[in-house]
Amino acid sequence: MSTPPLIVLEGITKHYRMGSEIVEALRGVDLTIRRGEYVAIMGPSGSGKSTLMNIIGCLDTPTSGRYMLEGTDVSSLGDAALAAIRNRKIGFVFQTFNLLPRATALKNVELPLIYAGAPPQERRQRAIAALESVGLGDRLRHKPPELSGGQRQRVAIARALVTGPSIILADEPTGNLDSKTGMEIMALFHRIWQEGNTIVLVTHEEDIARHAHRIIRIRDGRVESDMPNPTPIVGAPLLV
Amino acid sequence: MRRMLSQYADIFQSAVESLRAHLLRSTLTSIGVMIGVAFVSLMGWALRSLDAAWERTLSTLGSDMLYVDKWDWSGQGNWRTMMNRKNITLDQAEEIARRLRVAEMTYFSADAWGQTITTADRRASGIVIEGTMARFGMLPSTQLAEGRFFSELEERTAAAVAVIGEGVRTTLFGNRSPVGQTIRIKGRPFVIIGVMPKRGTLFSDFLDRTVYIPLPAFFGIYGRYSRSITVAAKARSPEELDVLRDELTGVVRAVRKLPPQAANDFAINEAEVFRQQVANIRIVIWAVGIGLTALSFLVGVIGITNVMFVAVIERTKEIGIRRAVGARQSTILLQFLLEATMLCVAGALVGVIVSGAIVLVVTAVARDSADFLLPVLPPEIVVVAVAVSIAVGILAGFIPALRAARLDPVEALRYEA
Repeated sequence: MSTPPLIVLEGITKHYRMGSEIVEALRGVDLTIRRGEYVAIMGPSGSGKSTLMNIIGCLDTPTSGRYMLEGTDVSSLGDAALAAIRNRKIGFVFQTFNLLPRATALKNVELPLIYAGAPPQERRQRAIAALESVGLGDRLRHKPPELSGGQRQRVAIARALVTGPSIILADEPTGNLDSKTGMEIMALFHRIWQEGNTIVLVTHEEDIARHAHRIIRIRDGRVESDMPNPTPIVGAPLLV
Repeated sequence: MRRMLSQYADIFQSAVESLRAHLLRSTLTSIGVMIGVAFVSLMGWALRSLDAAWERTLSTLGSDMLYVDKWDWSGQGNWRTMMNRKNITLDQAEEIARRLRVAEMTYFSADAWGQTITTADRRASGIVIEGTMARFGMLPSTQLAEGRFFSELEERTAAAVAVIGEGVRTTLFGNRSPVGQTIRIKGRPFVIIGVMPKRGTLFSDFLDRTVYIPLPAFFGIYGRYSRSITVAAKARSPEELDVLRDELTGVVRAVRKLPPQAANDFAINEAEVFRQQVANIRIVIWAVGIGLTALSFLVGVIGITNVMFVAVIERTKEIGIRRAVGARQSTILLQFLLEATMLCVAGALVGVIVSGAIVLVVTAVARDSADFLLPVLPPEIVVVAVAVSIAVGILAGFIPALRAARLDPVEALRYEA
């Protein structure tokens, strides 16, 4: 292989102190994700899947182990370097959308470009293009409270895409949506994947996970299974 | 560089937005700083006014002049002792002038306080009539606003001419020119030949209520021996003032025939004696001003720190979002510091406006009684006040901003209000 895998996790552990107790959220995770994959990370609550996602997203650092992102060891980087990686290489999509409520859709999507230092003219154009690509070209001036749940999540997806990141990290992206809207969002993810993006989906819902092409199951801080999904759901659900 | 600028523009904009979103809270919070800045500005204004008054006193009395008088002008010394001193007579004054070697010039004057003068239709009371010499009019510090001072010939011939102070002119003539008009002092007519510009200050406001007439004419009205003479002596340079003072002390003691052990029965006055008075007033202004200012800034800092803590908690989620999309800790720190600072600067600007208005009102109301006050806030005081408020903002905002910057992004994102 000429280029290294996108993500290589080797022996990742994460310990928390909860009062006097040490909680072992991750107990040695090895994982490789290649460019262009569509992966679902599944697990019941408390399994460590959120911790894993936070580490992959560089929001958190592992207690031990090595995390290579595009061939760079990021497990021991400082705040400024991690902030830059989150800015350029990671696009987050959250269950609760996490938009700035007082800012317009356009301003929300511009936010990562502001931290990237893009000039105002350029970041406007790129933000408008990203919003148009998720079908919200006519909602630029709307603020989150004026948008439906599905529209909000599409703003969040536009924000995740706008910097052209290496990975889209989606944490229960349909958790706060009705099932019809949820399926629209999953169809959007499918299109984004088709356009060449790498998607890591974190969920506890089997129906959602089955949209991915590879399903990794986490239990008690370890990888329980890691299997390809030969029959991914595309767009519309088979069973609702 | 450009990248930084674009980020700062955004930080600034978001700070403005969040302050506007909580307009009432922001306003109430900045009241402490507002009052503090108002106190700083007013204190600076009072001190500057005092300095200006002091400088005017110095230039009116002359920094190279000494005045031998029965009375100590500084207001210190025992009043009864001074009252009981023998008058300085004209003969003694002339003897003193004759013996002085280091003085550039001398002149004599005598005063009658609390006099009333009249024109055909008006009267002015509380007037000082000063008999003086033509030489006084030749001093560089004696400038006339209108007309001229009397000549040596007019002095020797006890001409019935007068030079009036600015306050006398406004009382008796309003805006009309008084030159050529006649005033009556104890019923005797004097023709006005000149008007002094405004000279009075905090320490010598009587100067503007003074009428200057030739010394012999003064004696003609009040008698030759009833008043103590003041001997004014000018040093050749301000540096020679000490030499002149020593000589003057010896000469006056000799002329007054004081035995070696006796205390001086006269005072040698100079502009410097007012320096102590200035210093005392200054201390009072400082003590009151600093106390009030410190108190209001303390309240301001506590209020702003408190409100910023609340803001950090309210916006925990926002901080998480910003961190997730690429904000550094330092960016968040700067954002909250800027917000606190803007609160303070906004308060400071209102404080400056309020104190500017107070200055306008006070100077308008107290134009006559306290005319030494400067009519506007000195601009450098405004700069200082704003600079202080920025410092207060940084001080008040630092700990909350640090807390905001150090929030764990994972925890912050999970936070639900």
